[in-house]
Amino acid sequence: MFYAGIDAGSRTIKAVIIEGGSLRMLAGGVVDQGLRQAALASGLLARVLKKCGLGRRDLKRIVATGWGRAALPFAGTTITEITCQARGVLHGKAGAETVIDIGGQDSKLIRLDSSGNVRDFVMCDRCAAGTGRFLEVVAGRLNLDLARPARAPGRPGRHIAISSTCVVFAETEIIGLMASGARPADIMAGVRKAIAARIAAMAGCEISGPVVFTGGVALVPGMARALQSALGVSVRVARNPRLTCALGAAILAARPV
Amino acid sequence: MKPKCGCKRGRTGASPLDWFGEMVSHCCAYAAAGKKKGRPLVGMTCEYTPRELILAAGGMPACLCGGDADMVPAAEKILPANLCPLIKSTFGYSARKANPFLEMADLVVVETTCDGKKKMYELLAESRPMHLVELPQKPDDPDAMRHWVRELRKLKAALEQRFRTTITKGRLNAAIRLMNRERRLRRGLAGLMRSDAPPLTGLEMLSFKTIIACIPAALDQMELAIRLLPGRKLDPPAHARARVMLTGVPMPHGAERVVELIEANGGLVVCQENCTGLKPLMEDVRAGSGDPLQALAEKYFHLPCSVMTPNSRRFELLRQLALEYRPQCVVEVIWQACLTYDVESFYVRKQAVESLGLPYLRIETDYSPSDSARIATRLEALFETIRGRAGQMRCG
Repeated sequence: MFYAGIDAGSRTIKAVIIEGGSLRMLAGGVVDQGLRQAALASGLLARVLKKCGLGRRDLKRIVATGWGRAALPFAGTTITEITCQARGVLHGKAGAETVIDIGGQDSKLIRLDSSGNVRDFVMCDRCAAGTGRFLEVVAGRLNLDLARPARAPGRPGRHIAISSTCVVFAETEIIGLMASGARPADIMAGVRKAIAARIAAMAGCEISGPVVFTGGVALVPGMARALQSALGVSVRVARNPRLTCALGAAILAARPV
Repeated sequence: MKPKCGCKRGRTGASPLDWFGEMVSHCCAYAAAGKKKGRPLVGMTCEYTPRELILAAGGMPACLCGGDADMVPAAEKILPANLCPLIKSTFGYSARKANPFLEMADLVVVETTCDGKKKMYELLAESRPMHLVELPQKPDDPDAMRHWVRELRKLKAALEQRFRTTITKGRLNAAIRLMNRERRLRRGLAGLMRSDAPPLTGLEMLSFKTIIACIPAALDQMELAIRLLPGRKLDPPAHARARVMLTGVPMPHGAERVVELIEANGGLVVCQENCTGLKPLMEDVRAGSGDPLQALAEKYFHLPCSVMTPNSRRFELLRQLALEYRPQCVVEVIWQACLTYDVESFYVRKQAVESLGLPYLRIETDYSPSDSARIATRLEALFETIRGRAGQMRCG
């Protein structure tokens, strides 16, 4: 039996297919989010199924998660991204105590109990300063590629602190920094630090490692290191950090609680 | 409160729930009739104001707390945007002359609970007759208590002078008995939710209140409700929902959105530890006392609002309610920019998680529906977590 999880996020849609007995991930895929969400998700699912030589009829159940979960009519069940993310992380890295997920439009911190279930969670969703959107805005402004290594080798970078707690004001702050001759790579490092500081504030005083880092922002070079130094505990990037939530959804499709 | 009341007499409902569904019209009709007979209407904005004194002066105490988001833009012409929506909505009603009870009010009694309200009252006083009571904030300090008693004496004198009347001990004791009856009835209603199969939703429970206190018809309806409601079945049934203890800020008429979201996403609010719930109902005033003003002062000064420091009574109350109502989680609502509840939420989380062993969710929001989808996701996740735990227990 095969199961699918679809994570309709704010920036991208992710899909994962698993085999029900072993819960092994057979294939996964990502597509940019757009206006016709259901069609995009459906097309993505077809492509991912094709990768493992399957068709829609081979799927026993589909679980949808993410902000757009309610807008996918072909999914039988919806489960929130918090529960799915925790389940996906539990599958990949046993022993994680905390999950930090930074996506395109929000960030969340999930504390797990000893059996890997959600103990509690906090979300930052009222402001973009702790999210991937912040990085995108700044990278666009600096003409940098987010996926490139964090800092060019060579002379040591200048320490830059971004103090604005609002993305719009931070952009103004960055324009000022550029005018003062700061190097784009150093500004970017300052932004990573600012995001990490927001996450640490959201985490409060009790944060226990190991921390597993998920979401698209986990792929940004240097971000895990920034988080690790802000939190003071070890931070590991999940394998396929963009797909853990969809994987969790697929597992929950196979093994409903 | 909704500004739609044209003082029409509301239709007589078939059941207590129907009666309270038309609560604003009933209150309007009652206020208009009372005014015609010469009874003054006295507005108030906080549970620290002893309604007994207003009743004993022959007045009708009416809650003026605004719960309507539409009133906020008018308020923001003068007040800062980054202020509690309850303060802004209340002030917006005044700016737009849209609250029939404020328009009928012969006096507004306010108190220095939080700084935001206090400074708003200065602006309100420009156009409304007002008496300000200073609320001391050290709940266990005998000097603070003495000061509070003096403040209530001044309120009594102000009411007597303005309404040319005398608040005798007899009248005050009678008002105390009346308010005790209302509190007892509302406690009785709230107590129905202790059941494993509560007969009401939290939203319905929240509707069992009146803007004007001690309306005889309302008290009769409450008595009827306590008799009729046990055994009523909810749809979806109570056992399929997570029992929620709600704490934090009050939810004035019109600002029930978070309760609606909780109950639309798998929860059932069985207990409300806030000023529109059980908080002001827990303690009665000693009736028949030789010094009724002192008795009043004691009851009201015990209210565990987050403006008190330290506010240990709130945590005793939360513990007691958790035992009585057996919630599966604690949801705390904080109006945006409500500093005292916001800071105190650190201890509420700690108590919920560490001492009561309950998952805790904090929702900071205002009256606008812009974040409803995001709040719904958090609530859904909370209830999934609770179901997950319950499932684990069954398997284990």
